[in-house]
Amino acid sequence: MSVFVASIGFGLVTAAVLAIAAVGFTLQFGVTDVLNLAFGAIMILGAFLAYLVNSHGVSVWLGLLLAIAVCSVVSVLINSVVYTPFQRRGASPITLVIVSLGMTLIIEFGVEAVAGGIPVSYTMGSGPTYQAGGLILTGVQLIIMAIAVVTMVGVHVLLRYTKLGKAMRATAANRNLARNCGIRTGRVITTTWALTGALCGLAGTVFAIDAGSFDATSTDVFLVLILAAVFLGGPGQPYGAMLGALVIGLATEVSAAFIPADYKYVTAFVVLLIMLGVRPAGLLGERQ
Amino acid sequence: MNAYYAINLLIYAAVDAMACLGLNQQFGVSGVTNFGFIIFQAAGGYAAAILALPPDTANGGFQSYLGGWQLPFPLPWLGAAAAGGLVALPFAFLFGRRLRGDFAAVGLLVTAVLLNLLVTNYRPFLNGDAGLSLIPTPLRGNNMFSVEPLSYEWGYTVGTIALCALAYLFVRRITESPYGRSLRAMRDNDAVADSLGKNLLSMRTAMLVTGGAIAGLSGGILVSYITTWSPAAWGYAETVVLFAAVIIGGAGNHVGAILGAILVPVGFEEVTRYIPSSNNLPPNLIPSLEWVAIGVLIIVFLWARPQGILPERKRVIRPPFASLEDTAAGKGVADRAAAGWRSSRPATSVVPEARPGDGAGASRYARSSPGRPAPPPPGSVAGSTPGATLRDVAPGTTMAGGSGAGTGSVVLEAVGLTREFGGVRAVDSVSFVVRKGTLTGLIGPNGAGKSTLLAMLAGTLPATSGKVLYLGNDVTALPAFRRARMGLVRTFQLASEFKRLTVTENLVSSVQGNRGDSFRGALAGRWYWRSDEDAAVTRAEALLERFGLAEYANTYAGELSGGQRRLVEIMRALMAQPRMLLLDEPMAGVHPRLARRIGNELIALCAEGMTILMVEHELAIMDEFADPVVVMAEGRVLAEGTMEQLRGRQEVVEAYLVG
Repeated sequence: MSVFVASIGFGLVTAAVLAIAAVGFTLQFGVTDVLNLAFGAIMILGAFLAYLVNSHGVSVWLGLLLAIAVCSVVSVLINSVVYTPFQRRGASPITLVIVSLGMTLIIEFGVEAVAGGIPVSYTMGSGPTYQAGGLILTGVQLIIMAIAVVTMVGVHVLLRYTKLGKAMRATAANRNLARNCGIRTGRVITTTWALTGALCGLAGTVFAIDAGSFDATSTDVFLVLILAAVFLGGPGQPYGAMLGALVIGLATEVSAAFIPADYKYVTAFVVLLIMLGVRPAGLLGERQ
Repeated sequence: MNAYYAINLLIYAAVDAMACLGLNQQFGVSGVTNFGFIIFQAAGGYAAAILALPPDTANGGFQSYLGGWQLPFPLPWLGAAAAGGLVALPFAFLFGRRLRGDFAAVGLLVTAVLLNLLVTNYRPFLNGDAGLSLIPTPLRGNNMFSVEPLSYEWGYTVGTIALCALAYLFVRRITESPYGRSLRAMRDNDAVADSLGKNLLSMRTAMLVTGGAIAGLSGGILVSYITTWSPAAWGYAETVVLFAAVIIGGAGNHVGAILGAILVPVGFEEVTRYIPSSNNLPPNLIPSLEWVAIGVLIIVFLWARPQGILPERKRVIRPPFASLEDTAAGKGVADRAAAGWRSSRPATSVVPEARPGDGAGASRYARSSPGRPAPPPPGSVAGSTPGATLRDVAPGTTMAGGSGAGTGSVVLEAVGLTREFGGVRAVDSVSFVVRKGTLTGLIGPNGAGKSTLLAMLAGTLPATSGKVLYLGNDVTALPAFRRARMGLVRTFQLASEFKRLTVTENLVSSVQGNRGDSFRGALAGRWYWRSDEDAAVTRAEALLERFGLAEYANTYAGELSGGQRRLVEIMRALMAQPRMLLLDEPMAGVHPRLARRIGNELIALCAEGMTILMVEHELAIMDEFADPVVVMAEGRVLAEGTMEQLRGRQEVVEAYLVG
């Protein structure tokens, strides 16, 4: 039983990391219509930037800020230099997916070329351990969860109560109509890349903190979890992604209490394939 | 050059070329973007291994695996091909649903990542992370090549290259057949291919399995040579390498795929071999940079040369009789047709050679010229479609009888047809009939639901409720391609030509019942389908001349002007010999003179017994050609009658003014 409860704790932490990434991914896809598979690679780029700073004796939390800033800029650049030109030319969604896979190779192995193939970890304490009702969480894990909650609330406020959020939702729903209604969709899209890129950098660093040690290819499998959470909730649906992240995060970690930990991702994999096969619009998506 | 080195190089090149051929058949030819492709090769490798290996207790049981049957030589390789094909089968599941192409691709990519994870971590299955080793090499024990040193290896090399050549001939045979044309049509626009009677699921499954079997065989050959196989050899990124090879070599061109295999997977391996290994370099630097370079190449090629180094070859179809006439005369015909088109061809003689009542849809467009291959008898075409079993078929018997509008038998009937989009009723319980031999118009303001209605009638969009009756049969549950095969063919509002097919190919692609338009027919070879193909090409030629596009016969449809594309689309629909044609704004964007000409052709076709339902905004067109006309507004049928009657009705006029 204690294993089960403890696994819920792990599940919540995984869900927290996953939620940040999945909301970023799904917003990016919904508003810009690019299924950016390089998201995982940009995450790991952020994680390594934080490591670079951290290895020079600076706190990893400052590194986190650097990761957020750089990933935001990198995402905007990739969009304007690579994705947008392809979209303007009328490239099919599938071509863009292939392009994003190319970007994945460039970024991921670019990082590996610089950083080497050896797993690294941040120099940081894990903080005091807290215990409540069988849940055992470290201070760092609590901070990660707090960051996730703050991020989710922030995304909610942004989408619900700000002009930019409304413009983003309008652009996601119908880009041409939004443009004809006077929304500067180009600017909205660039802003979306900046915001989701920031979320990507944040997610990458907290992922690396949570994982303990990581290398350039660590997010390959995590990307599957992100996709599972995104498709569970419905691609383009931020609230769906939050729900999906919670479900997938808990499902993978709790199942790890019962099956060998190496297979815990199979749960996410099965969920993703079922969603793709049965209801690609997701739980919260509208039926076609 | 070291002989061992040369042998390795050749075998790797042949194996990679085979894999690229399989991938090109899926991705380049058929548009099936399979990011899980490497799994097929992996499956073939493992199958060959466990079929050839002794039971895992041998060799002290240092590795564990299923199987271990010690089968003699050809069987492991056959098993490898079979395994590749079988593993591909469940993948069809992802394509069975109408899944966005990029979503399906993601599903396959994820499958590849996780299968690799599973095999890596679960040791009893295929020895996990460590992989299998000591895999027996075929025929090695027999020592049949052991006369000279390396003679076995050279034999293996020759055998591998021979199998690669066989794979090439195999995929080329499929691609260069009418079936291959259907595959390319599916690649260019799958919804339209569906509406023209192509069974997308069957074609995609066939391509997944074919490509899978080729990849599986390549895996078997590779594994038998290198005698080891482990999950590290088939990470998801390997698929990206193969994609890079196909894209760079030239997607859709099988020679290009071979070239890509030599340039990318083989070339990269070889080039990096010559980079001086300095002790100062980090151990992972060169391999990492290799991956970066592959990523860069993919993006650069997709941007600067998406067609690849060797672009897909244009299939110039010569008319079957061209060899008999000299080319100058042939050109003259085209010129005359083109000239007559633009200037003063009398509008009354739109169907000079049509002989109403003379049988048949099939001979409708054939020019009566001796010595040309006769078009197939109508029965052979119509009889092969399910439609032949329906009531009210009998082509030829009532063809000439479609004189009076509103008097013919009912061909198409909508009963309470409804379509909702998220609570909005785009079409709200619409009921009406279309009678044989009429050109029924469908008008209404923007957003009235005309195109939605048309899509439901054709089966492109499922109805929320209500029924579609075609020739008395309830076809509501039938998919679009089945309805098309019954002779209910639609065109689209937006341009829907197959861009990378020539105009002639576009036309011929819609012909029903071509013997070569099936996997087996394609494999049977040219002699098997030649006569069907020639007949279809002859008809296409006639139609092109009739519509004045003969000079564009071998132009890619994607290079035509908007009006010409509409024409191609209408001609393509006619090539299917439909009993009932659903036209969605066929005259939109077409020069008015051309529009009138199309209208006259349509009237002539109706006189020959075809039935047409046409959505059109231009009321002048409706005035001239359509009778009766159905008016829709806000999802409902508002009125029905001749244009004159409709003009007199207040609510119709208001609907247009308000709309």
